[in-house]
Amino acid sequence: MLEIKHIRKSFGRNEVLKDVSLNVKKGEVVVILGPSGSGKTTLLRCLNFLEKADSGEITIGNKNVVIQNAGRKDILDLRRKTGFVFQNYNLFANKTALENIMEGLVTARKVPKKDARNIAEETLKWVGLHDKADYYPSQLSGGQQQRVGIARAVALNPEVILFDEPTSALDPELVGEILELIKKVATKGITMIVVTHEMTFAQDVADKVIFMDGGVVVEEGAPKEIFYRPKEERTKQFLAKFIIPDNMYYI
Amino acid sequence: MGDLFSADRLVEEFPKLIPYLIENLKVLLWATVFGVILGLLITGVRMKKIPILYQITVVYISFMRGTPMLVQLLLIYYGLPAFIDPILGTNISREWPPILFAYTTFILNQGAFLSSIFYGAIKGVPSGQFEAGLSVGMTKLQTFRRIIAPMAVRIALPPFGSDFVGVFHNASLVYVIGVVDIMGRAKSIGSATGHVLEAYVIVALLFIIFSMGARALFGFVGNKLDYANIKVR
Ligand SMILES: Nc1ncnc2c1ncn2[C@@H]1O[C@H](COP(=O)(O)OP(=O)(O)O)[C@@H](O)[C@H]1O
Ligand SMILES: [Mg+2]
Repeated sequence: MLEIKHIRKSFGRNEVLKDVSLNVKKGEVVVILGPSGSGKTTLLRCLNFLEKADSGEITIGNKNVVIQNAGRKDILDLRRKTGFVFQNYNLFANKTALENIMEGLVTARKVPKKDARNIAEETLKWVGLHDKADYYPSQLSGGQQQRVGIARAVALNPEVILFDEPTSALDPELVGEILELIKKVATKGITMIVVTHEMTFAQDVADKVIFMDGGVVVEEGAPKEIFYRPKEERTKQFLAKFIIPDNMYYI
Repeated sequence: MGDLFSADRLVEEFPKLIPYLIENLKVLLWATVFGVILGLLITGVRMKKIPILYQITVVYISFMRGTPMLVQLLLIYYGLPAFIDPILGTNISREWPPILFAYTTFILNQGAFLSSIFYGAIKGVPSGQFEAGLSVGMTKLQTFRRIIAPMAVRIALPPFGSDFVGVFHNASLVYVIGVVDIMGRAKSIGSATGHVLEAYVIVALLFIIFSMGARALFGFVGNKLDYANIKVR
């Protein structure tokens, strides 16, 4: 469903992604773990061309794009197959919650306004914010903003939704409910790639866990394998930094 | 103190001066309308980093921002004919009324100042807004039109308002190249009557009223556009 091959990306002399390949099946939830600066965000951003990788190949659904040959149309097509949930929400500040969700439907996908409004209202209800439709982002709490951010991505019904640390800007007491919501997205059967530091969440929902460090995929496997029987030393060291329940891997 | 100031003369001169304010307002209007157009064009050049044009705008803007309005006015008034006439075979120093030189100077000046305001406003919209637009599948142009531009307008409004008032103040300089505006008229009333103070007091009052009115207007529009303050039903 989603396949990336040999993605490379440098910022100046800093090689951030060093030949990253990845395969995601339809409906799968893939969690990416890794220390700060390991290239997780850059990888997600390269997937929908917020950042243009230097080389490699990306396939989403029936759309295959070789980075070097990617034209405007290719990039737009790929973007319209992906949704993105940002760490700091990035809601359109000049639009209400409802309009935030409608914008992509109406402007990008040419969905008639009335239908878009219905979809947006439905989705807003689904994330538990039907009473906040006319609120502007500045009038919403961080948790509420991220709900809208998730609704905005879900409403577009993309082939894959990319989450970049969706809870790390939130107050700790709000993290749980947003993770619950993301689980709810997963149960819809939407393909998802989630960058997070929430280990329990990763264990619960991931079909596959990927550990990245220094711009490479160090290890990948089922959550059980990565958390209980990591093979690589770097994975072990990384996991040891988190408070891990007794029954999980420990040194 | 003698007879330096009299309220009677103030009242008497008021209607004689008022009509000449039109000249200043005309300069303000031209400077704003065509200054905005030129400012947007320059902003486009700067955003797209169009080669050669971009370098020209850099020099042009630093010149316009780095020299006093009075100097620009005189340079255009004396310099433009020297530059244009030999090329086009015209004689604009005679054919053009002074106010055309005033328009030219103010439009060129405003193009530079407004482009700085517009460019700064666009850059002032957080980049996450642009990325969010792309992420929902909009093109760059759609994102600019629907998301970035409205926010940039909001950001640009206060400096635009100050600039607008500033242009009006600067428009009081046009009499030095022979435009009979409110300042020119005040001066001539002064020489005719031997009393200058009242006319300048009137000018000052008019400028204060205009400035306060314009500030209030921009403040009002700014509040209307303030997404954070919009009341929710
Ligand atoms: N726009 C950019 N310009 C220059 N360097 C960048 C840019 N974005 C990311 N980097 C660098 O790339 C590396 C990986 O960053 P990132 O992908 O954000 O890592 P992670 O999300 O895993 O913390 C870091 O060293 C970071 O400084
Ligand atoms: Mg990151």
